[in-house]
Amino acid sequence: MNGTAPNSPDAARLITPTMLVVWLGLATIPLWISQIGLYPYLGIEILIWSIYALSFNLVLGTAGLPSFGHGVFFGVGAYAFGLAQFNVSSSLWICLTLAMLAAALAGVFVALFISHRRGIYYAFMTIAFGQIFWTIAIKWHSVTGGEDGLLKIERLPADLGFVSFDLKNNASFYYFVLAVFIVIVIALWRLTHSPYGRILSAIRQSETRAAHLGYRVWLYKASVFTISAGMSGLAGGLFAMAQLAAFPDVMSLHQSGYIVMMTLVGGGLVSFWGPIVGVVTFLVARDVIGAMTSAWMLWFGLLFIAIVLFKPEGIAGAFRSVVDGGKARAKRAEGVSALRLLFRS
Amino acid sequence: MIDILPHILNGLTLGLLFALIALGFMLIVGLMEQINLAHGSLFALGAYVGMQMLGPRPPMPADWAAAWLALPLGWRYALTLVIAPCVVGVVGALVEFCMRRTYGKDPLYGLLLTFGAAMVIEEAIRLTWGTRDYVLQVPQAISGGFIFQDLIWSTYRFYAAGIAAVIIGLVWLVIEKTPYGAIIKAGAHDSEIVRALGINLSRLRLAVFIFGTMLAAVAGIIVAPIWGIRPHMGVDAVVPAFLVIVLGGVGSFWGAVSAGILVGLAVGLTGAYASEWSLLSMYILLVAIVTFRARGLFGKKSVLEA
Amino acid sequence: MALIEARSVHVRFGDRIVLEEVDMAVLENECHGIMGPNGAGKTTFFNVITGRAKPTRGEVMLDGENIAGLSPHAIARKGVARSFQIMTLFDEYSARENVMIALPRFRERGFDMSHPASGDRDFKAEAEQVLADVGLADRADIRAKELAYGDRRALEIGVALAQKPRVLCLDEPTSGLGTDGVQRLLGLAQKLKGTLTMIVIEHDMSFLFSLADRISVLHWGQVVARGTPAQLQENLWVRRSNLGKFA
Repeated sequence: MNGTAPNSPDAARLITPTMLVVWLGLATIPLWISQIGLYPYLGIEILIWSIYALSFNLVLGTAGLPSFGHGVFFGVGAYAFGLAQFNVSSSLWICLTLAMLAAALAGVFVALFISHRRGIYYAFMTIAFGQIFWTIAIKWHSVTGGEDGLLKIERLPADLGFVSFDLKNNASFYYFVLAVFIVIVIALWRLTHSPYGRILSAIRQSETRAAHLGYRVWLYKASVFTISAGMSGLAGGLFAMAQLAAFPDVMSLHQSGYIVMMTLVGGGLVSFWGPIVGVVTFLVARDVIGAMTSAWMLWFGLLFIAIVLFKPEGIAGAFRSVVDGGKARAKRAEGVSALRLLFRS
Repeated sequence: MIDILPHILNGLTLGLLFALIALGFMLIVGLMEQINLAHGSLFALGAYVGMQMLGPRPPMPADWAAAWLALPLGWRYALTLVIAPCVVGVVGALVEFCMRRTYGKDPLYGLLLTFGAAMVIEEAIRLTWGTRDYVLQVPQAISGGFIFQDLIWSTYRFYAAGIAAVIIGLVWLVIEKTPYGAIIKAGAHDSEIVRALGINLSRLRLAVFIFGTMLAAVAGIIVAPIWGIRPHMGVDAVVPAFLVIVLGGVGSFWGAVSAGILVGLAVGLTGAYASEWSLLSMYILLVAIVTFRARGLFGKKSVLEA
Repeated sequence: MALIEARSVHVRFGDRIVLEEVDMAVLENECHGIMGPNGAGKTTFFNVITGRAKPTRGEVMLDGENIAGLSPHAIARKGVARSFQIMTLFDEYSARENVMIALPRFRERGFDMSHPASGDRDFKAEAEQVLADVGLADRADIRAKELAYGDRRALEIGVALAQKPRVLCLDEPTSGLGTDGVQRLLGLAQKLKGTLTMIVIEHDMSFLFSLADRISVLHWGQVVARGTPAQLQENLWVRRSNLGKFA
């Protein structure tokens, strides 16, 4: 089950000790990242993709729904941010909000079609919608810039009224994204441990039983998908600011697949923090292994296959079992049953 | 009105090719109850291997290559149609080895595993050939076009439809008329019976997987001149394959063929009016069909429904 | 006065008729049994009255309202609860959590995304009461999948009871239980008898005959006999088909 044991005190907390440790650790990254041979922009990518992966894991890990087309919402958020900036407002807050809303709207649209399903049909529907949106993004040149992308997006200043922060340099932008990350983590932690989150998890375990207990299962699945889409869109908006452009390839099946692989490898099926572990693993592999060989993605894909076969609880799950004193088999069983629940049609 | 005829031919051609891809997909689903997402990337690999074999630098030792290049294109093309699928079949066998651990478990493992395999194969394609467009050489005899009744027809489409129909016919012969086909059908129905008859189930599964892979690969070679060759072309093959078995049911040969033709016609006719968006119609069709829960033209319940 | 009544319920799957013009009226607070050989359509009947299957024809009247064809969640909200023959529990959750999710009050807070679920003491107390009723008070924290088989059966019923239903449908509750388990279950069922309306599908004849007020016998999708246990023992059809034979 995603998240921590419901009886543990952490489940009731708004901010847990682990969170503080993670945030503190992340806050220091700009200070030492160059020393270890990496670069500040990587920190920004880690944070943005972590927001994306945590939002994605609401659907995959908590609700147990296999979405292979989540890149759509990340992409819609990116495009919406750019288009809002060009046509609607120069306020950072309005543009980010519009990015979230646009992605959530796309989420509602897709959710209407898929929420009565589960398992393999669900997966293929998300693939189909991914292809549909990706094709539109590539062909609708006048709005999205087609294959060239939507360019000249700017990093708008974070204007709080009494003070305004310029985000054009990577260090200040990093701290802005970290602030957003902190808010998202708090929100998602609370959501996962709220009655709504418990019911989502119950639906994952037995949709039949939940329905016969009086829960409108369809509505729960649709709403979590929409929330996840909106938050992925927020990450997309931040990404558009980070790279100063929005491109269609984030919506491709290939890149939607990245987020699935990252989340699973990191241990998202059994741990709240799994997606972040997966993101860090992926990006570090990309930059460190990628420097040695252009086949790094191949190795990551093989790692994914190995994890599915042998360690479905992922890195975070394996770590937790080491910490818990070697309850490795139980952790593995948890990962296995989580995987199994994903695909009961 | 009559100008729509070439598009109908296009649709029919595509449909027969979709049926071919779907048949391979269906045999695997039927016998192993696993959805093979890598089917699309194996299709793509077929196109790439075929393209490489027919290109100026065929993947063989230098003296063989010289002899190979000396052959007329027509011969090389015909041989490639047979050899390239065998090469891809080997890759398919590798995928099947990896999947063995997942048999008997929920289809989920198969889906996630083959998804990973699809990503790995696609990445391998990108590494080997890059992302630029390639063109698969075809013999002069079957390329180009001609004019008939004031309409422009593509020779290649006729050929493609013809060869796809022939291969489908061969598959039918194998399934319906040979003892191997009977075993495959029996195995799809009840794997225990096959084991009880003393037939090695794992070898049967391997054989069916390779067979299905080869069908996908040869379809890739045939489609390549129509669609072009890109690393991500696999998804445009595996999604219609799934759609075909949703429409036609798993285990129904003629269901797969009719559904394939239907999907192909939908794509072909869309191509008549909005050629840029024709592949999109396939995805929209999937959404529509799954939303309205079609159970299969021939009434057989799908193994996808738990 | 019938609380729940099936009228001419007819179910056809393809060309197979699973239930044929089935009539069944269950009085309020009655304990009504359903028995019959495998494939008789008993579980399909349950599926119809709980919303899992839609009848081809016919009505299911719950307190005067036709609920046939409604979705499972709608029917559950009207007060019909069900246990399954193949157990459907939330395996990763503890016994207490399984019951908590079944509580109508918890369901009302279903879209609460801002408070921690574990914080509410009232839910815990209510859930523990239900667990005590089914004899699982000391196993509240154990995960459902780690419970012994007999305890899982008890939990399955506990979850249904937690819904505070008007009609409790039990599908083969003694399935897989040894004599001890059956006795325990019989005790529980007899405690519940008269406090709510019960419909029980069973193969265990002695269990059903000790418990039910009336029993309907289903065979090939039709009701072939109906009556009190005493009446059924006299029924020639029941006797000839060995259904009435028990020690």
